Amino acid sequence: MLENEEKQLTRDCLAMALEAGAAKARASLSKNTMNIVATLDGEVDKVTGCLDRSISLNLFVDGRYGTFSTNKLDRESLRTFIVKAVDTTRMLATDTCRDLPDPNRTAKDAITGGELGICDPAWSSVTPDQRIAFALENSAHCGLADGCVAPAKFFEPASCVAVARRNNNSVSRAQGWKLISEEGEYSDSEYFNFVVDTQGLEVLHSETSFEFFTELTIQDSRGHKYSGGWWEAAPLLKDFHPEKVAAAALEEAVMQIGPKACPGGKYRAVIDSEVSQKVLNPILSALNAFSIQQKNSFLTDTLGKQIFPAGLDIMDMPRIPGEACGKMFDSEGVATSNHYIVKDGVVQEYFVNTYMSNKLGIAPTIEDATRPFIPAFKRDDFPAKADRQSLMAACGDGILITDFCGGNSNPATGDFSYAIQGYRFKEGKIVHPVREMLITGNIVTLWSQLLAAGADARRCRAKLTPTLAFDNVDFSG
Amino acid sequence: MKTKNDFACIFGVTDTQLQALVSEGLRGGGDWCDLFFEDTSYTELMLRDGEVSTGGSHIDYGCGIRVLCGEKTGYAYAESTDYPALLTAARSASSISVAAKSLTINQKSPYAFRQSPEGITPHSPDNKALERHFYPMREDWREADAARFVPVLRKLESLIRAKDSSVHKVIAMLSYQVSDIMMYNSLGELSTDTRPVGSISVTVIFVRGGRTEMNNASRSFRAGVEMIGDTLLEEIAANVTAGMDERFEARRPKGGKMPVVMAAGASGILLHEAMGHAFEADFNRKGQSIFANKIGKRVASKGINILDDATIPGNRGSLNVDDEGIPGQKTYMVEDGILNSYLHDRISAAFYGVSPTGNGRRESFRYNPIPRMRCTYMESGNDGSMEDLISGVKKGIFVDQFSNGEVKIGEGDFTFYVKSGRLIENGRLTMPVKDINIVGNGPKALADIVAVASDLKIDDSTWTCGKEQSAPVSCGIPSVLVKKLTVGGD
Repeated sequence: MLENEEKQLTRDCLAMALEAGAAKARASLSKNTMNIVATLDGEVDKVTGCLDRSISLNLFVDGRYGTFSTNKLDRESLRTFIVKAVDTTRMLATDTCRDLPDPNRTAKDAITGGELGICDPAWSSVTPDQRIAFALENSAHCGLADGCVAPAKFFEPASCVAVARRNNNSVSRAQGWKLISEEGEYSDSEYFNFVVDTQGLEVLHSETSFEFFTELTIQDSRGHKYSGGWWEAAPLLKDFHPEKVAAAALEEAVMQIGPKACPGGKYRAVIDSEVSQKVLNPILSALNAFSIQQKNSFLTDTLGKQIFPAGLDIMDMPRIPGEACGKMFDSEGVATSNHYIVKDGVVQEYFVNTYMSNKLGIAPTIEDATRPFIPAFKRDDFPAKADRQSLMAACGDGILITDFCGGNSNPATGDFSYAIQGYRFKEGKIVHPVREMLITGNIVTLWSQLLAAGADARRCRAKLTPTLAFDNVDFSG
Repeated sequence: MKTKNDFACIFGVTDTQLQALVSEGLRGGGDWCDLFFEDTSYTELMLRDGEVSTGGSHIDYGCGIRVLCGEKTGYAYAESTDYPALLTAARSASSISVAAKSLTINQKSPYAFRQSPEGITPHSPDNKALERHFYPMREDWREADAARFVPVLRKLESLIRAKDSSVHKVIAMLSYQVSDIMMYNSLGELSTDTRPVGSISVTVIFVRGGRTEMNNASRSFRAGVEMIGDTLLEEIAANVTAGMDERFEARRPKGGKMPVVMAAGASGILLHEAMGHAFEADFNRKGQSIFANKIGKRVASKGINILDDATIPGNRGSLNVDDEGIPGQKTYMVEDGILNSYLHDRISAAFYGVSPTGNGRRESFRYNPIPRMRCTYMESGNDGSMEDLISGVKKGIFVDQFSNGEVKIGEGDFTFYVKSGRLIENGRLTMPVKDINIVGNGPKALADIVAVASDLKIDDSTWTCGKEQSAPVSCGIPSVLVKKLTVGGD
C-alpha cells in the first residue's frame, strides 16, 4: 500500500526544490515490496524479503537540468539532498530544450493507480508459508507420480515432470541422461509509482506480480551438460499458473541432447515467441528520436514510408486492462495510448519525448513503446493465427531458433550477427539440435522476408512478439 | 582514513546493537549471521552535443542482514539504519531457520565458517591490515566540486575531434561513486572499507561518405580525483579514434573453423566469460559447471596460469576485503594447466572444506553475496610476441576487441561479437573484418590454447559483470593463439 504520507512527502519535494531555487521540478516515488523463495533441488535455499523506496527528481534550474535520486527519505535528509542537487544543477551548461511536458499531454486518468486492474488485493494476503509452498510444489522434485512414461526423444511436457521427479531411478538413467540440479524461484511483488510535477501533474501506477522460474541442468551419458529454463508470471494471482514451468524447462534441456553441426546456407527460420523480440528490439531502438538525433539509426527519414511488408502491423498496447506490463503514463507523466507504430508496413511514429521534440523541432509523441505487440500476419500459403508447430509445418524445412546467445546489431546500419540455439526441422518436424550456428543479415532485409507472424505471443512478457517465420535467412556455422 | 568509530557514526549503530542484531538473526536457530552496511553516493556528468548539460547524483543507503542455516540463506534489508528497522530485517532474515528446519540439511558438508585468513580484522586501523590498502584516495570524490569536471569532458571532446575529422557526435560521461562499507558477523568480526570507482567513458559516431560507424572507449579505476589528468584523456581519445580507417574498410569474411589470435588486453573478457564463470564455486557446488569435480585435473596446457586477483592497486576489480569481510587476495584458478581452485564465498568454502578466497561479492546491501570474479587474467607465457603468434598462422583471424559475450555455464558454449579484427593470411594481417562472431566451447578453447605471448596487459575499461547482480570487474590476457574456433561469417 502506498501511504498518504508517502504521497505527501513526494509532493513536498517539489516545494523543497522550488524553495531551493528550481524553476520547475518533477518528483517520482517508487515503492516496491518483494518476497522471494528460491529452491535448490526441491528444497528451500533462500528466503528474501525486500522493501525498496526511493524518490527521483528532475530539476530545471536557471535553464539547466539535472537528475537525482535518493532512498534517504526522512525530511531533513531530503531537504539537504535537494538543496545540494539544485546547486549541482547550476554547475551544468544551459539547455533550453529541457522542459516539463505540455500539461495537455499528461495523463489525467491515472488517479487511483488501479485503473488497469493489475494490482491484486490478494497479494497482501499471501503468507510466508504459501510462498514456500508455491516454490516447492512447482519444483520438478516435488512428489512422485506413479506410472509415468519414460521420456521419448521428444515428449509431452507432462511426462518431463514425471521423469524429473524420478531422476534417481533406473528409468531416467536408462534414457541416457540424469538431472544434475534444479534451481527454482517464486517471487511476488507489489509496486507503486507516484509522479508529480510543478505544473500540476499527479499520476499513480500500481501493479502486482507473481512469478515462478526454473532452471534445470541435466547430463547426458557422455557427460555433456545441458540447461533449460522457463518462467511464468501474471499480475493477478488467479491468472498465475506455474504448474508446467518445470516441465517446460526440462523439455528444453533434454531436447538439446545430441546437437549436430548443420551446413551453412540459406534456410527458412522460425523464431520462437519466447525469443523473437530479439529481432524487434533493433526496430524500436532505431525509431527512438534520440538515436535519430545522434545519427545512429537505420530508420532515419522513414516516417510515413513503407519500410516493412504490406500487411504487417506493430502496435503499442499499454492500456489493456488486466494485462501485465501495461502503464497509463511514461516517465514524464505523458499519457500512453493503444496505437500503431507501424501500420500495413508503413512507419507511423518515432518515439519523441519532450526534450527530443524541442531539440529536433518535431511534435512529441511518447518516450518509448511500453508494451509493443505484433498481431498475426501471413503470406498466401501460411496458416492464420499460427503457432510454432504450425509455422514449422508451413515452412516445411528450416531451422527453429529457440534462443540467441550473444552477437550484435549495428544501430546505424541494421546489420546483425547473432549466435543461435535451435533445431533443424524437416517436413515440419524437429530432426536434431544444431550447434555453433549464427544468423547474419540486415534487420530491414530480414523483415522484408517475413512469411508469417503467429498468434502465440506470451501474455506475461512486456513485448508481445509471437513466433515469426522468415524466408532466406543466412545461417553459418 | 576513517576509523571504526567513524563508520559507526555514519550508520548510527553501537557495538551493543550490532551484537543484539546478530543474536536476533540467530534466534530461530541459524548457524551464521552477518550485517552489511552501505552508504553510497554516485555522481555523473554527461557531455552531449558539445555541452555538459546533463548530470546528477544519487544516494543509496541501507543495511542487508543475512542468516545462514546450513547452506540455506535468509536475507532481508532495510533502507534505514534505525535500530527498529534493522531489528525487523533481522527477524525477517531469520525466517530461513524455520523454513530450513523442515528440510533435510545436507549433512555431508557440516557448516564450518572460518576466521579470516591470518586471523586479522581486515582494514581495522589498529592492525597490519592497514598495509593492505589497494585503492587509497588522495582526494576524495565526495569532497570535490562537480563543476571542476565540466572542463575535463570538454577537453576530452576536443582531443577526440582533433584526432579525426570524421567525428560527428561525441557522448562523454564521467561518473564516480564512493561507498562506505561496514560489516559485522556472528564471529564478532568487524570489517570496514571505503571503495571508490571513477570512470570515464565515451561513445563517438563517425561519418564518412554517408556511412556511419560507432566506437567507444572507457577507463575506470578504484581511485580518487587524482586519476583525472591529461594522460588519461589522451589515452581515451587515442583509443576511441584508433583503427577507424580499418573499421570503414572492414568486411564480413567467409566463416568457418580456423585458428584465432587474440590480442593482449581486452580479449581477456573471453577468459572472464567463457572460463571464469565456470570456475565460480556456486556453479560447481550445484554441479552445473562444466568444471564440476575437476579440481586437480588438467584443463589447459602446461605453463598456463589463470588468476583472479583483488590486489592490483587501483584496479576496478580490486577489493581490500570482500563483501563477507574476507581480505582481498590473489587466487590461482589454473596453475601450470591444472585446475587449482574455484572462486569461493563463505558458503561454498564451507561446502568444499577450504578457505574462502575473498570472492563473496554483492551489488549492494540489497543482495546477498555470491562468488564473483574480481580481476581475471592469464599470466604471460614464453612464446614470444603477438607478431610471433600471427606469423605462425597460415589462414585465420586476429581479434583485438570483443563485445556482447555470452556463455552457457553448463555446456561451456560461448559466443563473442568481434568489434575489430583482421584476417591472417600467410602469417600477415590483411583485410579488416567486422560483423562476425567467434563461437566455441570454454574448456575446449582453453585446452586449445597452443601459444601464449609474453605481453600480458590488464584492460582498464569499465567492465561490469552481470551474474544475477552487477559488480565492477576487470580482465586481462597476453596475446594467445587458439588452435581452432568457429568464426561466423558469410
